[in-house]
Amino acid sequence: MTTHDQELFDNTCHPVEFQRELPPELRARERAKHGLARFLKALSEGWGTFRRNPLGVIGLSLLSVFALMAVASFIPQMIDPMYNPMTGVDPNIMGTQGPSWKHWLGTDFLGRDIFAQLLVGAKVAFIVGFSAAFMAVALGTMVGLVAGYFGKWVDTLLMRLADIIMVMPGLLVILIISAVIGQLTIWNTVLIIALLRWSPVSRVIRSQTLSLRERAYVEAAKVSGAGSARIIFRHIAPNVLPLAFLYMTFRVTAAILVEASLAFLGFGDPGTVSWGMMLQWVWKTGNMFQAPYWLLPPGFCISLITLSFYLIGRALDEVVNPRLKKEA
Amino acid sequence: MELRRYLINRTIQIIITFFFIMTLLFILFRIAPGDPSSMIIDPHMTPEDVALIRQQFGLDQPIYVQYLVYIKNFFKGDFGISFYYGEPVLNVIKSVLPNTLLLFTSATILSALAGISWGKFAAWKKGSVSDVALTLTGLIAHTLFLPWFALIMIWIFSYKLELFPLNGMVSPEIWLDPECGFWAKSLDVLHHLFLPLLVLFIIHFGGFLLVMRSSMLEVVKEDFILTARAKGLTDREIRNHHAAPNAALPVITNVGLSLAFSINGGALTETVFSWPGLGRELVNAVSQFDYPLAQMSFLIISALVLASNLVVDVLYAYLDPRIRY
Repeated sequence: MTTHDQELFDNTCHPVEFQRELPPELRARERAKHGLARFLKALSEGWGTFRRNPLGVIGLSLLSVFALMAVASFIPQMIDPMYNPMTGVDPNIMGTQGPSWKHWLGTDFLGRDIFAQLLVGAKVAFIVGFSAAFMAVALGTMVGLVAGYFGKWVDTLLMRLADIIMVMPGLLVILIISAVIGQLTIWNTVLIIALLRWSPVSRVIRSQTLSLRERAYVEAAKVSGAGSARIIFRHIAPNVLPLAFLYMTFRVTAAILVEASLAFLGFGDPGTVSWGMMLQWVWKTGNMFQAPYWLLPPGFCISLITLSFYLIGRALDEVVNPRLKKEA
Repeated sequence: MELRRYLINRTIQIIITFFFIMTLLFILFRIAPGDPSSMIIDPHMTPEDVALIRQQFGLDQPIYVQYLVYIKNFFKGDFGISFYYGEPVLNVIKSVLPNTLLLFTSATILSALAGISWGKFAAWKKGSVSDVALTLTGLIAHTLFLPWFALIMIWIFSYKLELFPLNGMVSPEIWLDPECGFWAKSLDVLHHLFLPLLVLFIIHFGGFLLVMRSSMLEVVKEDFILTARAKGLTDREIRNHHAAPNAALPVITNVGLSLAFSINGGALTETVFSWPGLGRELVNAVSQFDYPLAQMSFLIISALVLASNLVVDVLYAYLDPRIRY
């Protein structure tokens, strides 16, 4: 970031202000009201900017469709157990068969309903994407705050570590780990993805923290006797959160892609139906040339959900980074 | 001389990173349930036999001795014997490494060149139909799920149209035929290379294009572009000689950062196309519990990523004099 960006960034992120002396319980309520109002105002302003970006709106609409799919994933198996994506088998169909009224997208090699699997895939993608992204961003933000605030050898050590992790080919690292540990469950996968993907976040948060810690209000907090933890979490963290939030959208995509690739290569959790798993089945059972109704939907969903998060991320970038607003 | 110091620094950092990765790998294999000999030991063996095997593998040594032996063997090129192939891992890796380098470097260079020149063009004609078309194509190509896209390309071009081979790198009938000379063989490899290369190209050029476009839009606002215009230079000259070289710098950094990402993609592409490369060996070794091969192909891939990062740094320092001071 240039100094120019820095200035603009400063104008958008107001430091948490000092409160006048009020009784503690009143002060807390006052602060909560004040904080909530400001948060809502910032949110509506941000939404105004976001709404004017057509690509961002397209991304958000796409994402709503996937969210609907994830929510609807419980319905088919309630209608009839044969629609269970994992165990349900149509008694009349032994193998893969094209779309019909009974099975909108056809059935897979065991006679399971592909549409039901697709819906559950959306749920799994959201769970994997959001939990891995949340952990990665939380970890990256913590590391960035600590490195930026304490500086010196702490900073050097943490940032060297971030550099090392940054150059590791994530998918292959997970492969190697699964070679050693054996079959990875979906939660192990999520955890490893998070551990491998926090470093870009920590770099950005660190550079923000470096400038924030030089501010007068941090100085004031220090003089009034606040400890490092309080300064970091109460005074610096709120100002880097918008940026961390932006990074979360990009981490979500990365996590979904890694999980899908892993499942595609045959190292997914055998207890879950993910889109990557569906592709692995159609590929490994040799149906890819015969069953386009089975090959096309899962990959289409993975690509579209990636696209939608990417578009949302770019639009959010404009909200968080006002410099870009003028350009568009 | 500043340049030399910068490069020495970077080299040292990269060597440290490599040692770090080696150590992590060592620890990973040691904390794993069971020890490396459990693949060979079976329950019928007597405790004496087990002890003998452990001694042969050096597993009775203290852990730091094992670590030093591990490091020493790596630099001696003694990577152990592959369980699956039954031959030294070094030979396996030697035979597949050139194939990976061929596919990977050609794909990276081609997509970077295309991304830079198209991104330059799109930014220069900002808002025009060609800009919107290029940017949207780049955006969509960038987000395609690679293995799925590869399967669809195989389906269309190899299965339906029968233009390219389904998989592999060579056709045995051409390579076993003594009549066929160097050109016929090269042509055969190119024929096999085309589709995986195309897939990697389409997936990767989009990222370069998007970065180049936004970086170019920044550079165009700079004063020196105004100066160039005031001097009466042609539009084309300003674009190609004043704006583009400056805008390309972030793209080069991006090449470095996305290398790990494209190596992942390379492994997926190699697996789908059965391209006999390092990434596919790693995937196969992991599913066959071939630990020595999995471990070493992972280390060699990491070394490749690090070496290419170093190349990118050198290139960057060479292109941008500011970095040297």
